[in-house]
Amino acid sequence: MEKVCRDWASQAFGKGMVKAEYWDDFEVNAKAAAAEIFRVKDFSEGEAKLNELLQEYAPKEIIAVGGDENSAIKNIYDKIAQSGRKIYTGKYDIYEHRDSADIGISTAEFCVAETGSLCVDNYSYEARVTSMLPFVNIVFVNANYVVKDVTVACKIIGKVFNKGYVGFVTGPSRTADIERVLSLGVHGPNKLLIIAVEDFEGVR
Amino acid sequence: MAERNLKQEIQKKLKDDVMQGALSKFAEQYPGSRLNAYKGQDIEELREELRAMKHDAVQHIDQLADDFEASLRKRGTEVFRAKDGQAVKDYIIKICKENGVKRVVKSKSMASEEIHLNECFGEHDIRVKETDLGEWMIAIAGERPSHMVMPAIHMNRYQCAEMFEQELHHEVPGEDIPNMIQLARKNLRQEFLQADMGITGANFGIAENGAIGLVTNEGNARLVTTLPRIHVVLIGYEKLIPKTEDAAKILRLLPRNGTCQRMTSYMTMVDGPTRVMYKDAGGKVVETDRKQYVILLDNGRLEAAKDPVFQQAYQCVRCASCLNVCPIWTLVGGHVYGHVYSGGIGAILTGLFNGVDTFAQFSDLCIGCRKCTTICPGKIPIPDIIDELRSRYVQKHGAPGMDKTMFNMVLNDRGMFHKLLLKAGSIGQAPFKKGKFIRHLPLFMEEMTKGRSLPTIASEPFRDRVERLSRKNPSKPKKRVAYFSGCNMDFVFADTSENVVKVLQSLGMEVVYPIEQACCGKPILGVGDREAGRETAKKNIAAFEKVNADVILSACPTCTETLHETYMKLFENDPEWKARARAFCSKVREFSSFVAEEYKKTGRMVHTKGGEKVTYHDSCHMKRGLGIYEEPRALIDATPGVELVEMHNCDKCCGMAGSFGMKYQEVSIPMLNEKVDNIKATGAATAVVACPACMMQIGGGLDKAETGIQTKHIADLLAEKL
Repeated sequence: MEKVCRDWASQAFGKGMVKAEYWDDFEVNAKAAAAEIFRVKDFSEGEAKLNELLQEYAPKEIIAVGGDENSAIKNIYDKIAQSGRKIYTGKYDIYEHRDSADIGISTAEFCVAETGSLCVDNYSYEARVTSMLPFVNIVFVNANYVVKDVTVACKIIGKVFNKGYVGFVTGPSRTADIERVLSLGVHGPNKLLIIAVEDFEGVR
Repeated sequence: MAERNLKQEIQKKLKDDVMQGALSKFAEQYPGSRLNAYKGQDIEELREELRAMKHDAVQHIDQLADDFEASLRKRGTEVFRAKDGQAVKDYIIKICKENGVKRVVKSKSMASEEIHLNECFGEHDIRVKETDLGEWMIAIAGERPSHMVMPAIHMNRYQCAEMFEQELHHEVPGEDIPNMIQLARKNLRQEFLQADMGITGANFGIAENGAIGLVTNEGNARLVTTLPRIHVVLIGYEKLIPKTEDAAKILRLLPRNGTCQRMTSYMTMVDGPTRVMYKDAGGKVVETDRKQYVILLDNGRLEAAKDPVFQQAYQCVRCASCLNVCPIWTLVGGHVYGHVYSGGIGAILTGLFNGVDTFAQFSDLCIGCRKCTTICPGKIPIPDIIDELRSRYVQKHGAPGMDKTMFNMVLNDRGMFHKLLLKAGSIGQAPFKKGKFIRHLPLFMEEMTKGRSLPTIASEPFRDRVERLSRKNPSKPKKRVAYFSGCNMDFVFADTSENVVKVLQSLGMEVVYPIEQACCGKPILGVGDREAGRETAKKNIAAFEKVNADVILSACPTCTETLHETYMKLFENDPEWKARARAFCSKVREFSSFVAEEYKKTGRMVHTKGGEKVTYHDSCHMKRGLGIYEEPRALIDATPGVELVEMHNCDKCCGMAGSFGMKYQEVSIPMLNEKVDNIKATGAATAVVACPACMMQIGGGLDKAETGIQTKHIADLLAEKL
């Protein structure tokens, strides 16, 4: 999958910019933005959580990205496929199923404590449609990769952003254009479910 | 352009109950929600960072634009610099033709609204759809957005449902908002998927790498920049910033001020052509680089960038928070401003993009209360820029005839004013007087007393009392204070002026009154006639030079601000008068802050316990113009027999705002009614003010509503307890 940066941790994160200790703030603010958060120890717990969520939302079709960059995630996708669920991970398959899939699974590079945002590297077309078109977006992120605020986040992005598509995702798609009543899922997902994995590095 | 009847349009909006309900609820909730989003942040530091960054950017705008363009070209983007709206339209139609574009989706772009972009597609048989829900509904209704961030705030759910029905051709129940949202999702999803071209605006453009930033909640901008095979960006020069990390300076304020969120759901940066997949003409799925075209829009922006006053408009990030706190906007809504940009900043942007002639039509709607200046993320002095635009307009067209005649005949010539008032006082008002108020005026003046009583003209103007009062001056005065009464305090509230003198004398001050003093000049400066303003200033400066006082004191904050600050700025090209103005201005003091200082020195500033409840109203010019709000409260606290209770929205404009309250009585009275309600709710027996214009308005409102609540100037309150 094409990315703005192959390895954010080694190329973009400067010394002392990314710290696990900002997690609590991130969690509070992400929840305030209507994201749901599941913090897990490792990918085997992450897989169990994901299966739970798949049970709950019972998707007819899943599109998923991020397996090429992380073998543990690829492993999880493979097992989902073996279980008989329709999961599409190739870009042409994703293209075909982009509008019919009801769950998209994607990845994020780091978390922003101040705002509860996920920083996403969405250079590739498939990463964008996966995270935007289905009604539910499930995101894997490293629970240790948290920056204090938007200032630090933009500094990090600035180090590697030469071309492409990056951004923050903060909770689900929302609108208040009718009578200022908050409604979710207007164009993008109405659910943003974050699976934050503590031991993300171990399996790289 | 057809001549507009602004007053009629305003009256219509004031009778629109749906809009009135929505706006008043919003105005009530916004300030608290905004502060909540800033919890834990140093707002002033963030504002200053944004202001400084944008200020610096505009100083180097040509360089930034060159860098931005070069960055984009290097990455394979076509860049076009458009002089005006027509150039944009021609260019976009050309791209459409070259690329066989039949369907276009747009995410919200105020710049495209500004140039009425959508109009150009119809004649070329190109389908264009707005995808921001509010903009989509507004486009169906054929209306303009009434707010930059909440374009459909003036409609209720049932009116929205009608727009849905019109577009979808089936029944849509207005009760069910989530259902409407899903209908829009379904309908617009197909628009996204089938579109050939996506058009976006940009919240910022980064010179170092050519990236543009898009801040949305719905996520429509992400789809507009992802699904179609062509991406067109329409970006104004004012959105350019040097580096990626500078984006943080915008992003930490824009969502908080705009929608009271720490961050919107989506913040997207797109840099150059990105990959896209689509079915080609033969139905085969292809992956290729998306074509990206970036249009830099001038339309008056580059000229504004060169002007030291107007360039401050570049500090605007289009959060619209200045509308949210504007006492006029929150009453009349955005449509009466006549163009796409509304409110105070709207008047400015319209003036810069559409010319000062268009600006002049609704520049009246800024009353200079300065509430917006306290929250603008880019710290734009909106009322000052409006003043400057007014002045440029007057230089070009001359002052509005009526205003100028009134001023020259009446306010600038005290002798004439005096005679006129005496005559009116003895004959005109007698039959309509009730106590100290006139409750009804006959015939054409009836409007002025609708909703408020007017104070009666003083039977003996202050100037005629000076000789008697000066006999009580102390023999060994601490200071020589020259009193500047201003019009109101001379002819209407002469008793209050007398109390000012008594308080000053009790502090050991000698009070003198230069009899040649004129009006401070604010009424004519306010309409933009600086030439007339300079003449008045000279008259006053010369009159006060003669008495050689230590302090020049006024008990009217608007006069004080004019004497203290505006006079300094009037003589930039006249060294002699500039020096004289400087000497004059340096002596000018406002009554309550001067008295508070003297109270402290003499040990009179001591807390006194309990008594009758009084509440205090902050005049706009006092609090936000002069920064004085603690001193009057401290003086009330030190006054025996009274206890201060704060009212809700104590610093919200009472609706008088100079001559605005008379000229736009229909807007002024609802503002006054709100103030009266807030005063009544405190249970206070007296409303204390420190401004004669507020005193006239609030006093009139409290009398008309027969509340029995008294209105006093702080000088009255202090003098009573001497």
